[in-house]
Amino acid sequence: MDLKVEDIVKYLAENIPRGGVGPFEKAVAFIIRDFKIWWTYKLWITLDILSSLTFVATYYFVSMIITPQALIEAGYAADFLTFSVIGISVQHYVFTSVSSLSDAIREEQWNGTMETILSSTTSFRVFLLGESAFRFIIGSYFLLASLGMGVLLGIRLVLNPTSILAVFVLTILLVASHMVIGVLGAAMILKLKQGDPIVWAFSWLTQLFSGVLYPLGLLPDWLKWVGNAFPLTYSLDGLRRCLMNGEGLDSPMIIGNTLKLILFIVVVLPFSLWFFKKSYDSTRREGALGQY
Amino acid sequence: MNQPEILQLFRVEEKRSKSSLRQLFAVVWAQLKMMLAYKSWLVMDLLSTLASVVMYYFVGLQVDPHQLSRSGWGTSYLAFSLVGVATSNYLWACLTRLSHSIQHEIRGGTLETIAVTPINMLMFFIGLTARGYLVSLIYLVGVFTVGVYGLGAKLSFTPQSLFVFIILFVLMLVSNQALGLVAAGIIMVYKRGDPLVFILAAVNEFLAGVLYPLELLKRFPALQVLSMLFPYTYALDGMRRVLILGASVFDVNVLTDILVLGVFSMLLVPLGLKMLGWGYDRIRREGTTSSY
Amino acid sequence: MSIINCLSKNSKGLFTLNTAVETVNLTKYFKGDGGKERIVAVDHVSLSIREGEFFGLLGPNGAGKTTLIKILCTLVIPDEGTARVAGFDVVKDAEKVREYIGWLHGETGGRALYWRLSARDNLRFYAYLQNIPKDVARKRIDALLEFFELDKDADRLVKDFSTGMKMRVMLARTLLSNAPILLMDEPTVGLDATGAIETRRLLQALCKELRKTIVFTTHNIFEAERLCDRIAVMNRGKIIAVDTPLRLSEITRKYRGVEVRFRGSSEEAVRILERLEFVKRIMSIQPEEDYTVIRAEVKDEEQALSEIPKAFSTNGLKTIGVQIALPSLEEVFLNLTGGEHESA
Ligand SMILES: Nc1ncnc2c1ncn2[C@@H]1O[C@H](COP(=O)(O)OP(=O)(O)OP(=O)(O)O)[C@@H](O)[C@H]1O
Ligand SMILES: [Mg+2]
Repeated sequence: MDLKVEDIVKYLAENIPRGGVGPFEKAVAFIIRDFKIWWTYKLWITLDILSSLTFVATYYFVSMIITPQALIEAGYAADFLTFSVIGISVQHYVFTSVSSLSDAIREEQWNGTMETILSSTTSFRVFLLGESAFRFIIGSYFLLASLGMGVLLGIRLVLNPTSILAVFVLTILLVASHMVIGVLGAAMILKLKQGDPIVWAFSWLTQLFSGVLYPLGLLPDWLKWVGNAFPLTYSLDGLRRCLMNGEGLDSPMIIGNTLKLILFIVVVLPFSLWFFKKSYDSTRREGALGQY
Repeated sequence: MNQPEILQLFRVEEKRSKSSLRQLFAVVWAQLKMMLAYKSWLVMDLLSTLASVVMYYFVGLQVDPHQLSRSGWGTSYLAFSLVGVATSNYLWACLTRLSHSIQHEIRGGTLETIAVTPINMLMFFIGLTARGYLVSLIYLVGVFTVGVYGLGAKLSFTPQSLFVFIILFVLMLVSNQALGLVAAGIIMVYKRGDPLVFILAAVNEFLAGVLYPLELLKRFPALQVLSMLFPYTYALDGMRRVLILGASVFDVNVLTDILVLGVFSMLLVPLGLKMLGWGYDRIRREGTTSSY
Repeated sequence: MSIINCLSKNSKGLFTLNTAVETVNLTKYFKGDGGKERIVAVDHVSLSIREGEFFGLLGPNGAGKTTLIKILCTLVIPDEGTARVAGFDVVKDAEKVREYIGWLHGETGGRALYWRLSARDNLRFYAYLQNIPKDVARKRIDALLEFFELDKDADRLVKDFSTGMKMRVMLARTLLSNAPILLMDEPTVGLDATGAIETRRLLQALCKELRKTIVFTTHNIFEAERLCDRIAVMNRGKIIAVDTPLRLSEITRKYRGVEVRFRGSSEEAVRILERLEFVKRIMSIQPEEDYTVIRAEVKDEEQALSEIPKAFSTNGLKTIGVQIALPSLEEVFLNLTGGEHESA
C-alpha cells in the first residue's frame, strides 16, 4: 500500500460538508448504472428486440382471417392489424412500466444491494424513481421498434399535428397512471418477495377487459364494466382513436378519456404512496428488506 | 451431543447407493417444497393462463369462419387456437421455469455446492425441469377444461384420440426438452435466460402457427422453410389433426408428424447433452460457477 | 480404526500413494477486464498433501487460495499442470474425485443454501445428492444439528438465520457426507468465539482420529498456527513457502531479535533498552499476568543475551528470562508477502 495510515487520517480529517448532489443527478446515476449493467449482456440486446417483434408478424397473419365488422361497429378504422399492433405494443409498454418498480426491487434484493442503497443518504423516492427510469427508456425503445415494424408490415397510422399532440398528452397520462399502479406493486413485492399479485392481476385483467385484441363491444354486457377500472382501457381507446382515425384533443371521446385518466391519478396516487410507506415500514420492522 | 459421539457416528462405514433416481427425486422434492412456499403464486399463474384462453375466445368472435375453413381446420377459431395456446403455454412455462431455476442456482451459489457432489449434472437439470413439467400440467388441464366445458370448443376427446395426443405430446416434450438443455448450456455461460427463452417461445409461437393456420405462410417460402425446422410445428399439426379433425393414428399426416418428431428427438437429444456439457465445462474454465 | 479400512477398501489408489492431494505445476489464468490482460490466479503450484494432514493455505486477498481450492474440488478447470485428489485427476476423473471430497465455501457468507428450505431440509436434500442411506442420514443430521446448536432452529427457513447460523448449516452439510478429504475455504468466517473454537476442535479431532485430510484457508493466522501440520503461504498465485509453522518462523527470520521477560516498570525498561547501542528498535511490549515481555531487534544477539540482564538489574528490574526471538507467524506472513494487501 502506497498510502500510510497517517495520510488517510489526514485526508479524512478535512471536513467537507456533504451535499451538492440533487435527486435528479442521483436518478441519472441510477440510469447510468443500469445502462452499464445492461450493456454487459450485449448478446441479448438484439434477441430482446427481435423477439418482441415476432408478435407483429404473428398478427399480420391473424389479421388475414379476421373480419373488421366489430371494429367498424366500435367506431375504429377497419384495420385489425393496426388495431392489434397498437393494442399489444401499448399493453406491453404499460406492463413493463407497471412491473419496472417491482422488478427493480427484486433485482436489488437478489444482488444483496438493496440494503446498501437504502442505508446511504438516498431517499426511497429517489431510489424508486432512479430504479424505474431506465426500464422506461428501454420500454419506450421497444414500443417504437414494434410500431416501426408494424409500419413496415403495413399498419396505417394517421399522423397530423392535432393527433400527435393528443397522443403526446395521452402517453404522459398513461405513464403517470401506470406508475401509480407500479408503486402499489412495488409495495407488495417488498413484503411478498415473489409473485407480485398487483402486476399479475393487472396483466391478465387488462388482457381480457381493456380491449387489447378486440373492441370491448364483443364482451357480454355483464362484463363490460370491468374494463372501466383500468386506465389502460381509456388510454388504448384514446390512442387508437388518435392514431387510427386521426382524432385530436377536440374530440369528445378523447376529452372523456383524458379526464378519466386524470381522475384515476388524482384518486389513486395518494393511496398508493400511503400503502407503499406502510409496507416499507412493516418490512423494516420484520428485518426482511434484503431477503429474497 | 458432543464431539466423541459425532466422531463415533462417522466411524461407521455406510454403503452408498449409486442410484441416480434418488438424486433426481431429491431435486424434484426440494424444488416442489420451495415452490409450496409460494402457494398463492401458483393460483395466480393458473388464473392468468386461463385468462388467455378466454381472450382468444373473444378474438375468435372476429374471425371469419370461411377464411379459417378454407385452410382446412374447421370453422371454430376457438378450437383452433385452444390447442395451440394450451400446448405452447405449457412449453413456454417449462422453459421459463428451467431458465429461472438455473439462474437462481447460480446466483445463490447452490449450483456450485451441488456440482461437487457425485450427482450427475444431467440428472440435476432434468430434476430442475421436472418441476416445471409437473406443475404446468395443471395449467394444461385447466386450459382444456375451461376451453371445452366453459367456452364450448368442440374437440374430440375419445380414448383413441387421447392416446395419439399423448404420444405426440410426449414426443413434443422430448424434443423440446432437448432444446431446453441447449438453452441451459447457454444460460449457464451467459447467466441470462429470459431473452433466450422469450425468443424461443415467440419465434416458435409465430412459426408453428399457434394463432393462425400455417397455410397462410405459403406466400413467404422462406418463413415456411423456417417453420419446418421447429419440432413444435409438427407436434401442433398432429395434435390439431387428432383433436379438431378427429384423425386417427393411421392418418398419413399424423404418422408423418410422429415420425418427424422421432427423428428430431434423436438428433436434438445428443445435441442438447453436448451443449450442456459445453456450458458446464466453459463456466468451470472461466471460474464463473457462481457469478452472474 | 474402521475408517481406515473403509478408505483402503474404497480407494486403493489413495492408500498406496498415501498422498491425498497432489498438484504439479498447476496454473490457472483468468481473463482480466476487457479480455486483454491475463490474471494469473494460480501460478505453477506444486503441492503434495499427505493423507491425514491438516494443511493450511494462507495469503492476502486475491492470492489465489479460493481458485486453488475450487480447482481441487473440480469446479474450476485448470489451464496447465495437473492435480490429483484421492488419486484421481480433477479434470479427467472429476466424478470420482467428488466422491471423496467435502467442500465448504465460507466466503459466500451463507448464500449457498436454499434460503426457502429449512436447515433440516437443506441437509436432507444434500444427503440425497451424496447418496447417503436414509437412516444414516437421519442420524447424522440430528447429531450435526445438535452439535452446531441448531436443533431448536432446525425446521425454520434458512432465510431467517443469522450469518453464523447459516455458516453452521454449511459446516454440517460439508461434514454430512463423511468425506475423507475436506476442502474448507474459510470455515470459521462468521462464527462466534465458541462456535469457532468448537469447530476447530471438531476439525482437529476429525483429522487426528479419523485421519481425514483437511485443506483449509483462513485469514486468522493464529488459527492456522494452532491447527495446521503444515502451512503454505500464497501470494499472487505462487506458493512462496510450505512448511510447519515452527520451521516457517525459523526460515524467515530476517532480523536478529531477542525476547526479554522481566518484572518491573516497562517505561523504565524501554528507557534502558533505548540507551543500549546494540539495540536497533523495540518491536513489541506485551504485559502478561505478572511479568512483561519485550521484543527488540538487535545488532548482536550474543551481546544482547548477556548485556540486557545486567543493564536491567543495575536499574532495579528483575529479569526472568532472555532468549532469541522467533518471529510470530504473523510477522512471517507479512515478511513473505511483503506486507501488501491487494484487493481483487
Ligand atoms: N472467475 C474469475 N474471473 C476472473 N478473475 C478471477 C475469477 N476468479 C478469481 N479471479 C481472480 O483471481 C485472483 C485470485 O482470486 P481468489 O478468489 O482465488 O483469491 P483468494 O486468495 O481466495 O482471496 P481472498 O482471501 O480474498 O478470498 C484474483 O485476482 C481474482 O480477481
Ligand atoms: Mg478466497
